[in-house]
Amino acid sequence: MKKRRLSALISALCLTATAVTACGGGTTQETTAASTAAENKAQETEGAKEETTVQAEAAGGSVRILMNVTGGKDEEEMKLFVEALEAATGLDIEVEKPVSDYSKVMMQKLSGGEKYDLIYLGASEYANLIDQETLMDITDYVSNSQILSQNIDQSEWDDITIDGKVYAGFNKKEVHRVVALNNVMLKAAGIDYQSITPTLDGYYEVFSKLKENNSEADFYPFEVIMKDAWDLQPWMAAVGVKTGVVLDDSGKKYAPVSTETAAPVWEWFKKLYDDGLMDPSSFVDATSDMRGKMGAASRKNACCVDWAAWVGLHNSNALAEGVSEDDYQVVSLPGCETPDGSYMLGKGGASLFAVPANAENVEGAVKVLEYFATQEGGELLSIGMEGYDYTKDGDTYTQTEIGKAHGNDHGAPVPIYKDFKAPFGYNPGMEDALSLGNYASIEMTISNEADYKEIVGKWGIQMIRGEASIEDGLAGMRKELLERGVTEVE
Amino acid sequence: MPRKKGDTLRKIKRYRGIYLMLAPIAAYFLVFSYYPLVLGIVNSFHKVKLLGGSQFVGLANYQEVAGSRLYRQALQNSLIVGVGTFLLQFLWGLMIAVFLNEVKRKTFKSLIQTVTYIPYLLSWTVVGGLWITIFSPTGMVNGILNKLGVQGATVFMAEPAFARPIMIFTGAWKGAGYFAALFLAAIVSLDNSLYESARIDGASRWQQIMKITIPQIIPTMKIVTVLSAMGVLRNFDQIFVMGNPSINDKVQNLLVLIYNDGILKFNVGTATAAATLVLVVTMLISFIVRKLLRYDEAYDGR
Repeated sequence: MKKRRLSALISALCLTATAVTACGGGTTQETTAASTAAENKAQETEGAKEETTVQAEAAGGSVRILMNVTGGKDEEEMKLFVEALEAATGLDIEVEKPVSDYSKVMMQKLSGGEKYDLIYLGASEYANLIDQETLMDITDYVSNSQILSQNIDQSEWDDITIDGKVYAGFNKKEVHRVVALNNVMLKAAGIDYQSITPTLDGYYEVFSKLKENNSEADFYPFEVIMKDAWDLQPWMAAVGVKTGVVLDDSGKKYAPVSTETAAPVWEWFKKLYDDGLMDPSSFVDATSDMRGKMGAASRKNACCVDWAAWVGLHNSNALAEGVSEDDYQVVSLPGCETPDGSYMLGKGGASLFAVPANAENVEGAVKVLEYFATQEGGELLSIGMEGYDYTKDGDTYTQTEIGKAHGNDHGAPVPIYKDFKAPFGYNPGMEDALSLGNYASIEMTISNEADYKEIVGKWGIQMIRGEASIEDGLAGMRKELLERGVTEVE
Repeated sequence: MPRKKGDTLRKIKRYRGIYLMLAPIAAYFLVFSYYPLVLGIVNSFHKVKLLGGSQFVGLANYQEVAGSRLYRQALQNSLIVGVGTFLLQFLWGLMIAVFLNEVKRKTFKSLIQTVTYIPYLLSWTVVGGLWITIFSPTGMVNGILNKLGVQGATVFMAEPAFARPIMIFTGAWKGAGYFAALFLAAIVSLDNSLYESARIDGASRWQQIMKITIPQIIPTMKIVTVLSAMGVLRNFDQIFVMGNPSINDKVQNLLVLIYNDGILKFNVGTATAAATLVLVVTMLISFIVRKLLRYDEAYDGR
């Protein structure tokens, strides 16, 4: 009997062990060898930093990159991408690009002691890995590099500087999000988009007219991805509120969208929902659903907030499907005017290549970062590979059919080089959307950004659906943000 | 005692061929299950850094998990959704199995069995996406409600009141075919003379089901229950795919939180502490269920 009980316990152990490892395979694979190697490498790194006279130009050897989103669209094209990168930098490049679950794979690789010279990161992962002391401080490399310090706007570096230190270079220039509107629907409703009053009431009136002018029951003029609180900035601007977390006068973190100042905007969202102007799917849809409804093939929504690049992509996709500009055209606006007469737009969190603390070829890694910050590097990351995505005769670029299908995106639709000239120009409408960039700023990079989105989304939905009053909803939002360590004061 | 030791050694020597054959399996479990498990438990007492230099923090990670409202809520959600899914899936599977046993036409029987089993083979990415669409404001459920005269669209997947019932229903829908296959295998192996005797005594079909079929497959039900009890806290995919912030308070479970902490936030120490607690709670549930079902006695062949 006892033996059977013991075997039952062991069975349970086995089953749950699978759960433990399934959820955090990497969490359990840290090895002493990896620790020792990392510690040794950290010491070497210190030495390397002291020798910043070693310029990246002199770098050679091989560079190992853990990549996501950037590069070729398939294995064959990835080879061409690597060859082009090798030819341009003179380095041996080895690229690993996980098919899915990038964050999980990255964590498993790093905790398993694998060494990379560059790893792709988003802003939230950047903050988390700095907390983990997993990334190398490359501030000196950046300041000693003419290319990195001069080809990239200082404001970009400021955005990724944490406690005076920089731990990564750029994959691309993160553009901003704008209010995207279906201009054909606006015209049909008798609205000139350039004369829309940039207030909450002004947009309410626009949405009402759009709804009146459309007889389809499942048409809703406005959609917002509320479950992730993505992106509320053009509307929060009406009360001058910055989305995300900001520091108060005493240097403590708080979330302005949870304060009473933001209440009128939440009331506006509720009114749109109550009056059938906001798509009820806003509470569950992902951005891909939103784009589908905004696209030419569906046209179930007429206004949303999306990346400037998507304004162009909507138009470009429509033209590719044979839908003319007379039938479908997306235009952009900066949203509501702030109380002081300006606008506020949200800029994307950085898309980066960081140097891990155990990197073996830091100079090589910096050389790759430098290349990405040039016109040629920008072309590789946007229009792709010469001879495959496009051909070049002198200064004349001709895009191949494959290149057209790839939509000028091989990781960086807008490269980080500040004077980058797009050889094929931008998609229709994108340039106007990009011109609104002066109003854009990033949200503060925090390690628990996912918690912020979840909490604001959850309470936002409750307020809009009337499950909580605006006052109670905001109080609940503030309390939970504080409780889960997203903010430091209510 | 020395004699026993000698016996054991002799037996090992005598059956060394069998022990050698077992060695690869033992090695597999040691390397891929127990080694990561032990490392996970060790990590749960450390503030873990990805590239090494972990720091021993004693029970701090466990205190953090125990003091977290999120983890307490997640445990509650895991148990409610897990137990609810099991109960519904059990009854559903049993009904399908009994129904299939009554069907005489082989083609129809195979068709029903295949149709009910297919969802079990599909991943939650597919099944979750399917149900999200069905429950969407423009989906099938709202379409039927509109035909019945219900005005407006209900966003089922954003309604906290519907969250747990939806997870339980969809979970049971996916797994009912699997349970049905297990129950049906037990039913078809029953001694046919029992039914013949019952028919001679004038028992109706319903009485045969209730008095013969169900009692005879109780051992299978016990096995299914014990195995399900071990997996009650292991539901990750469904909640990961179908959960969203508006219903997370009702459905977010332990494994999703462990994933968020361990993978997304790199809080490996906290995540492994929580995972270790899941292990302990699973052992506890397994032990209680076995006791309640008197599983060991049934296993003795009574």
